[in-house]
Amino acid sequence: MPTASQKPLELILARNLMSALSTPAFLVDEGGILVFYNEAAGMLLGKSWEELGTVGAEEWGALFGPFGRDGEPIPYDELPLVVAVRDDRPAHANFEIHSIDGTRHQVEASAFPIQTAHGSRGAIAVFWPAAENGTGS
Amino acid sequence: MKAKLWGTRGSVPSPGPETIRYGGNTSCVGVTLSDGSLLALDAGTGIRNLGLSLPEEPTRLHILLTHLHLDHIQGLVFFAPAFRPQTEIVIWGPASPEASLRDRIARYISAPLSPVEVRELPCDVSFRSTPETEWEIGPARIRAASVSHRGPTLGYRIDDGEDSLAYIPDHEPALGADLDTLEDEWISGFGLARDASLLIHDGQYADSEYPDHLGWGHSSISHALSFARRTGAGRTVLFHHDPLHSDERLDLLGAEAQDRWVAVGGTPEAVELAVEGAELDAHTRAASPLPTA
Repeated sequence: MPTASQKPLELILARNLMSALSTPAFLVDEGGILVFYNEAAGMLLGKSWEELGTVGAEEWGALFGPFGRDGEPIPYDELPLVVAVRDDRPAHANFEIHSIDGTRHQVEASAFPIQTAHGSRGAIAVFWPAAENGTGS
Repeated sequence: MKAKLWGTRGSVPSPGPETIRYGGNTSCVGVTLSDGSLLALDAGTGIRNLGLSLPEEPTRLHILLTHLHLDHIQGLVFFAPAFRPQTEIVIWGPASPEASLRDRIARYISAPLSPVEVRELPCDVSFRSTPETEWEIGPARIRAASVSHRGPTLGYRIDDGEDSLAYIPDHEPALGADLDTLEDEWISGFGLARDASLLIHDGQYADSEYPDHLGWGHSSISHALSFARRTGAGRTVLFHHDPLHSDERLDLLGAEAQDRWVAVGGTPEAVELAVEGAELDAHTRAASPLPTA
C-alpha cells in the first residue's frame, strides 16, 4: 500500500534498478507524472534529474520534445509512456528529442506498464538510439 | 500496546547452547493491544510457544504474515490453538497474482510436508489478503505495505492510541539505494516506520557480511540503523538474527550498533538486539529521534 509519505514499492525498486543502468530510462507514476529519470537519460537530455526540478508537460515539450519526423511536437497522449499508463499495454515509438543545448537525437522508445497485484503503479520507458532504417511506429 | 518476542531468528531455527540467550526460534512477535486482545506477527517456530501460553478458552486471533518464506510460517502447524474448535483464526498476508493466500499457505500445510491439511484444522480459520487501505482490529489501526525483499513481502504498522509499532523483519531498503541521501518518499518501508514508537527491523548481517549477501533481501546493521535514523523511530530492535550468529557474536554486534547510534547523537538504550522472550513496551520512546536529515 503506498502511503502519503512513500512511493509504491514497485516504483522504488524500478528507480533503484534504473539508477544502475546505462540505458536512458524514464519512470512515471500511475497518474502519468514523471517521477524519475536516470543518469544516462540525464546525459541524453543535458540535464540531470536532480538539476531539472519540477517541469510541467508543456515546458517539457518545449525543452526536449519529442518531435515527429515532420518536426512537429508529438501530442502528449501519443507518447509511449502515456499510452503504457493509460492503456495498460506496452508501447513503442520512434521520435526525435532535443538536449538542453539543442542537440538532436533520434531515438526509439519502448514503454511498459508496471502491473502489480493491486493494479497499475506507473510505467517505465527506455530509450535507444534509433535504428538506421527507422523501424517502429 | 506491548510486544513479546517469541522468535527472533531468521532463515532457519537455530537451537543450541550457542544461541540460548538470543534464541533459536524463527520470527514471531505477539502484540497485546490496549483492550487485551492479541495479534501474532508472523508464524515462525516461535508461534509454537506463543500458542502454548494461551488459555484454552474460546479465542479469536489474528495472525499477520509478512510473507510466506518458511521461517515465517513454519510454526503454523504446531500452533496449539489451531487444533481447538473453539478458536477462530484470521490469517492475513500478501496478495499474489499467482494464487490465493490460502492456496499458497496450503502448499506447506499439506502432504508430504505436513501431517495435516488446512481443511482438517479443527479451528475456524480464514485467510485474507491485506487491503491497500488501513483497517482496524479491535482498538488498533493496521497498515500493511510492500517492502523490499524477495517475493511478495509486507511490513506492518500498528497504531493503538498513542502507541505505534512498525514490524519489518525481512527488509533490504539499501538495495540499489543510498539510504543516507535518498529522499524520504523513495525509501522502502518509510511510510510504515515513520516516527514509530517501536521499530522491529531486520538486522541480519554484520556490515562485513553484507557484500556477500547483496540482494538476499536483508539489512546490514548499518543499513538498519540508517533506516531507523531516517524514519525517526523512537526505539529500534534489530531482529531476524542470522542463524550463524552465536550469542557471543550478537553481543558484539549489539555493542557495535549502540556505539554507532551514540556516535550519531542517539542514546544507547534506543537500539538493542532482539532477545527471544523479551517483552517490549510500544509506548516507550527511549530517546528523542535523531535528526533525519
